[in-house]
Amino acid sequence: MKCSKATHMLQLYMDRQLTLEQIRVLEAHVYACPVCREELFLLEEVGRSLSMLKQVAEPADLTINIMRRVALNPREQHVREPQPFVLFRPSLSEILAAFALATVAMLGIALEQPSVRTAVLPGGHNSVSLFFAMLWNSLSSTNNEALMLSLWIIGALLGIWITLAVAGSDMRNVWFRAVVNRLPVW
Amino acid sequence: MIREYLLQPPHSIGMSISGVPSAEAELDDAALVTASRTGDQDAFAVLVQRHQRRVFNLVFRMLQQYEEANEVTQDAFFSAWQGLPSFRGDARFSTWLYRIAYNCALKQLEQRKRDNAIQVAIQAETVDNDDDCVDAEIEAHDRQAVVHKYLLSLPAKYRVVLTLRHLQEMTYEEMAEILTMPIGTIKTHLFRARNLLKERLEAFEHDWKTRG
Repeated sequence: MKCSKATHMLQLYMDRQLTLEQIRVLEAHVYACPVCREELFLLEEVGRSLSMLKQVAEPADLTINIMRRVALNPREQHVREPQPFVLFRPSLSEILAAFALATVAMLGIALEQPSVRTAVLPGGHNSVSLFFAMLWNSLSSTNNEALMLSLWIIGALLGIWITLAVAGSDMRNVWFRAVVNRLPVW
Repeated sequence: MIREYLLQPPHSIGMSISGVPSAEAELDDAALVTASRTGDQDAFAVLVQRHQRRVFNLVFRMLQQYEEANEVTQDAFFSAWQGLPSFRGDARFSTWLYRIAYNCALKQLEQRKRDNAIQVAIQAETVDNDDDCVDAEIEAHDRQAVVHKYLLSLPAKYRVVLTLRHLQEMTYEEMAEILTMPIGTIKTHLFRARNLLKERLEAFEHDWKTRG
């Protein structure tokens, strides 16, 4: 282990954020390296000194003063009802992106129908038409279940993408924070 | 009407100062918050008594002025009382409360910046007092005094993470929630703050050795 990496890990070590394996490697390095050993000693000294800072006693009349203000200033009773859709504010570019994605999804569904396919796809014998025909035939000749599964996954991803685009950045941030808050921390 | 609790001195807060509040305390908090939301001032007074020391210490470490911290702590609890109806319970009450206190302290620091005359006066007073006190301790070769002295000179953003981590023993996640910062930023601030203190301590040790 390099000293630069060990130095960074020393702080995580102090905060008990390392795995057992990382601790074992770091301790072996610190044992062999006097520079990192000194670094750890100083950091631990800093941590110890900070922990020795005493809690300052609050003013004796703090509770009384707070509750006096509470008693003298009654809370406004009017509570605004939550508006669940107030954060749905997609921008113009997000609406256009959702529209484009929805068009792609619709094209995918439509092209599944043979009649639509023949009407939409070029029917000539040029290279483009031949390419599309060959592509479709190769897709159709493969395992049908695998094809359906992959189409289903693509459709689901498009659906999620459209939802995120329409939701707007505020709502996306709320969802993102909600997801991050539920993730396990390591 | 002055209620009964107002006649009693503030007693020991009903939770451990260090460490995460217990599940029982959190349960009590939830019941007290529910009662406070409906306007029960007695329930809110219990919440105040339970959390005031930790809130006061957070604010005090940020502002470094006792009287100012007193005022800002009062503001924070009053804001919490006014905002309780909108508290949805997504986060723990204590987290929500510390976030309010942190924001109140930040606002106060910005106010200080706007008023340069007051800021200069306060800083001069603080530095003078601290120098007198710490210099005597440094002569006694007290490493803690060095750390405590330079803690005062750190920016507020560094002091607050050090306070939450070392005095209130909070995890990165709890700090991130209170300060509404990503965990990566919390780590960066914490590591830089400790490195700055470590460098000061290192310089002090070096000076001490060269002086013989």
